[in-house]
Amino acid sequence: MYSGTAKTVRSAAWRVSLWGTVAFACGTLLIFMSLHGVVASDVQRRTDTWLTGEAGVLSDVAERTPKDALYNRVVGEIAELASREVPNRTRATGGENDWVFFLQTAVDGSPMLWVGTGDETQYLKAVRETNAQANTPFDVHIPNVRIPFRVAATTLHDGTHFYLGLSEQGELRVLHQMREHFLRLWLLTVLLGFAIIFFTTRRMLGDVRRISEAAANIGESDLSRRVPVSGRNDEIAQLASTLNRMLDRIERSVHQLHTITNSLAHDLRSPLTAIRARLELALTRDVKEQEAESIECSINEIDRLTELLNQSLDVAEAQADALRTEPARVDLQQLLKGMIELYQPCMNEKGLRLEFHSRGPLEVMADAALLHRMVANLLDNEMKHLPPSRTVSIALSEEEGSAQLVVEDDGPGFSAEIESDLFKARVKGTESRGYGLGLAFVQAVVGVHGGAIRAENREGGGARLVVELPLAEAAVGAD
Amino acid sequence: MHYHRDMHLLLVEDDLEIQTFLRHALAEAGYQVDAASDAKTAERMAMQRRHDLLIVDLGLPDQDGMALILRLRQLGVHAPVLILSARRSVDDRVLGLEQGGDDYLTKPFALAELLARLRNLLKRNAPANPVTKLRVLDLELDLLRREATRGTHILNLTPQEFTLLEYLCRNPGRVVTRSMILDKVWGMRIQPAANVVDVHIYRLRGKVDPEGMAPLIRTLRGVGYVLRDR
Repeated sequence: MYSGTAKTVRSAAWRVSLWGTVAFACGTLLIFMSLHGVVASDVQRRTDTWLTGEAGVLSDVAERTPKDALYNRVVGEIAELASREVPNRTRATGGENDWVFFLQTAVDGSPMLWVGTGDETQYLKAVRETNAQANTPFDVHIPNVRIPFRVAATTLHDGTHFYLGLSEQGELRVLHQMREHFLRLWLLTVLLGFAIIFFTTRRMLGDVRRISEAAANIGESDLSRRVPVSGRNDEIAQLASTLNRMLDRIERSVHQLHTITNSLAHDLRSPLTAIRARLELALTRDVKEQEAESIECSINEIDRLTELLNQSLDVAEAQADALRTEPARVDLQQLLKGMIELYQPCMNEKGLRLEFHSRGPLEVMADAALLHRMVANLLDNEMKHLPPSRTVSIALSEEEGSAQLVVEDDGPGFSAEIESDLFKARVKGTESRGYGLGLAFVQAVVGVHGGAIRAENREGGGARLVVELPLAEAAVGAD
Repeated sequence: MHYHRDMHLLLVEDDLEIQTFLRHALAEAGYQVDAASDAKTAERMAMQRRHDLLIVDLGLPDQDGMALILRLRQLGVHAPVLILSARRSVDDRVLGLEQGGDDYLTKPFALAELLARLRNLLKRNAPANPVTKLRVLDLELDLLRREATRGTHILNLTPQEFTLLEYLCRNPGRVVTRSMILDKVWGMRIQPAANVVDVHIYRLRGKVDPEGMAPLIRTLRGVGYVLRDR
């Protein structure tokens, strides 16, 4: 389960939908914030209009009403009435009048008239402390009252000050409701958007994944398979059919190549057989010494040509993962001993020494015939490139679960310019007569056995080839 | 003089040049040869007379060589088959047959090798008599004691040299090629670029044919070696 979650989190669909949603959420949030600002300022403007209007009416009434015993009552009534027409007011909270206050102060600053709930001195103090501009409503925070008031101030002709305050709770409630609504809808939209993006991209990328899986299988197994094409005619379906068309072409080319190499191999062999047979027949008749020699050379050349043909086809097949092998348990030590025994006299004849170091039997799962040809190639190479009185040293050892075969010499080593692509067929050093197919074949054999090969120049001079082949136990376990 | 004077072979090969050459070469070696260039003719010929051995090329114009062999087996032809193949990697089916007592040879091949394999296939059907001693002229090999003597002189051979000499002595008077020696003595089917076999033969010759004695090991240029038996 955990791994499933982790896989989802790592998937491209997840990343695409995450970032898409983040961008979407930020965008909508920005739009809402600007709308919120517009609405808030509009609500405030309305409040202010009402406040200035009412304050005007009240101050008018106050100016005209004579300052007698009835004054307080008349102005109080008017103020009371005004509070009923407050904008944004809800009926539910209607009981107590904590929405509006009305305060008149005498010239000396003492409170004269108070309409509202709570302690008027507190309000007066708060109003005075607020640094307000004349004729513009301003915000007043009353201690112990949660919601601030919007206050309009007027100075009457008799020098008294006149304050009309309107609680901002209506305004705040409207904005609060708006925010709450928005948040709910916003969350819903964002989640829905995320889900939609996630499932669409996942489905789309699922097609891509199936295509890449199928393509990987095609590389490993056979070329006749094709990637799945979804029914939708979108870019991904186009990608799939493009890939399939490409595979068609590759399959045709490979098939053609196989046919050509097969028929080439076959067609070359028959004339070679005939030529060789004729030459052999010619040798059995009485021929002069000189003629016999050239016939013999021709036969040798034909044999070399045949081996070259075989080897290039082997290399080509190995590179196309098509080299036929018959793996069995092979003791490398014994195999090498046999090969060394075979080659030793010939190398000695050429003035070369051949050493073999091994710590004991070492079994690998391999095709013995291919290994024979591989070692023969390595030794042929040494004989071809080493000047006389040098030593070839072959060491067999076990290294981290694989058999390591090291072939070293103290000759001139690989020339620098070809060291990098030594194993490519037909690469030849300028001074050498060519590693040619030999090492490419060696690499091909190592490759089909799941091993590795590397070539380097030794520090003290000379060439070193290291071949690693998986040990038999591991090969059996892997099956 | 040849012990296989009345051995009858059926040669199935579509390349006329190779067929002609093989027919002559086999006749010269003392075999009676019927030759066919396609599977149909081959089947008819196989029905007309009993052959001691079949040489079948795998690439026939009208039918796959393997199919022909299987068909002939169904028809009751049990003679051993030597398969000639232009494919270098040998077919699994051919390997299966080889275990059943048949043999194969990939093109191009040395005539000497073809003849050697023919002899082996024909011999397999003959009763085998276990030998403990081989004698060729004045050369004698004691296979149990792994000892070789030339006249009265005991040869000082390495085990490998003894095996090589034994192989030559088992084929006296017949040509053995380098690849036959590599196959039978060293158990390797390789084509070394260098003359590795020649050096071994050269050393062996130094011991078997000392100065003053008639040389037994002869080199046939371009072909291989022969141990003289007369």
